[in-house]
Amino acid sequence: MTVRTYLLPRSRPEALGLLDEHGPELLVMAGGTVAMPLINEGISLPEAVMGLRLAGLGGLERAGDELRIGATATLTQLLDQDAVPMLREAARNTASWSIRNMGTVGGNLFTPPPGGDVAVALLALDARVTLASTRGERVLPLADFLTGFMSTELAADELLVEISVPIPGEPTAYLKLGRKHASTPSVVTVAARLEWRGGRVTDARIALGAVGPHPIRAREAEQLLVGTRLDADAIAAAAVAAAQGCEPFTDGIATDWYRRRMAGLFVGRALEQLTPGAAGEGR
Amino acid sequence: MASRIVTFDLGGREVEVMVRPMTTLQSVLRNQLGFTATKDGCRQGGCGSCTVLVNGQPMLSCLLPVEDVAGQRVTTLESITPAEGLHPIQQAFLDAHASQCGYCTPGMVMVSKALLDHDPAPTDDAIRHALTGNICRCTGYRPIVTAVHSAAEAVHDAADAMRGSAGERAR
Ligand SMILES: Cc1cc2nc3c(=O)[nH]c(=O)nc-3n(C[C@H](O)[C@H](O)[C@H](O)COP(=O)(O)OP(=O)(O)OC[C@H]3O[C@@H](n4cnc5c(N)ncnc54)[C@H](O)[C@@H]3O)c2cc1C
Ligand code: FES
Ligand code: FES
Repeated sequence: MTVRTYLLPRSRPEALGLLDEHGPELLVMAGGTVAMPLINEGISLPEAVMGLRLAGLGGLERAGDELRIGATATLTQLLDQDAVPMLREAARNTASWSIRNMGTVGGNLFTPPPGGDVAVALLALDARVTLASTRGERVLPLADFLTGFMSTELAADELLVEISVPIPGEPTAYLKLGRKHASTPSVVTVAARLEWRGGRVTDARIALGAVGPHPIRAREAEQLLVGTRLDADAIAAAAVAAAQGCEPFTDGIATDWYRRRMAGLFVGRALEQLTPGAAGEGR
Repeated sequence: MASRIVTFDLGGREVEVMVRPMTTLQSVLRNQLGFTATKDGCRQGGCGSCTVLVNGQPMLSCLLPVEDVAGQRVTTLESITPAEGLHPIQQAFLDAHASQCGYCTPGMVMVSKALLDHDPAPTDDAIRHALTGNICRCTGYRPIVTAVHSAAEAVHDAADAMRGSAGERAR
């Protein structure tokens, strides 16, 4: 371990001040479930680390028709809330109990694929992220925050402080395929949300994980669904478009070929769950 | 590299350690305090053998800088093992042959303890869900699930027996 300085700020202003003072060399760590393994293994060799566990950036509260999630709220806290069932389902499908007690919702947005199972749900929910620095705050859509493999819009002097989620009125679907039932890296993760009027889809969100450099929207598939009654043909067309439009990769979990096939299959299954009259989905 | 003094509660006893920045709780327990029930399997968060309870919640000591638990309550296998005999969960693991090489056992027992504290009569699914982060290369897991069930019953029976004898006396 190369760490010579470990900072544990007790407040948000203190954290932002330390970040400003130390500059980009300071490694930020929230729950540490991604950062610590790399440090333990000697892959990451930081000299200065700032831990956010005591910085008061956690908590999770419903404010009107929004769920406001502090960046360091744990995955366990996300599992325990009931305002947004899709986020509970995403948390349940992420890692294991101990990791959920440590890992944060904010940290999940920085986790490279095949991780990011919560980020996939947040993307389908049109979440917005608040970034703060000593210069001030800015809010942007999560879809704009994620810019590439392990890259985001976050500036060197900024912290992610909050994630806000409009509480969806309509049923949602969330499916994760892994190589085992739980505590498993994703082959593909799918989150879907539709809006309806007069029996037709008026708006669609489909987010995919583990089939791109970061969690992505299946925009072509979304567009194909608008105006349909979500019949079998519409679902099949959207599934094909999602499979064609994603950028899967090969790793120890699955090949790119298998990931693409499963992306199509699981988009289809998620949409079937959302068809009017599907089991458990009253409309 | 300024060393720091960190104080925390370990199984009801206050301990004070001098550490270099970002030393893990795992390293402090094993190398400084000699509490070696907490194992060192992967240091990657991947095996669960280093699981301890922080304020009653399972966490992985290999991913936890000890500075983060300053002033908090840490429970390890040593903390729950009685001076004589075994904790009911340990006894259940022994009886069900849920421990072979034993490397995973401390982590398994700590998660089981946290589970039974939350849910005194867990279903099969709840047990499996709780233990998904703990890898066992020997037992095939079934004996472990069986052990957690019988530990739950043992705790339950003990409570019943106490209630029963109180009832006898009332009659
Ligand atoms: C065994 C194991 C299993 C796992 N399984 C899954 C899984 O099934 N699905 C899944 O999605 N993930 C999984 N993960 C990954 C990880 O646990 C989660 O993604 C978790 O949400 C990461 O959060 P963290 O707070 O621990 O991240 P950290 O390690 O604390 O953060 C990683 C990096 O993100 C940045 N960062 C974090 N928070 C902020 C902030 N507020 N502001 C600025 N920068 C920040 C920093 O650069 C930091 O170094 C697993 C990890 C392990 C070890
Ligand atoms: S040693 Fe901590 S999880 Fe393996
Ligand atoms: S008993 Fe050997 S690893 Fe579980």
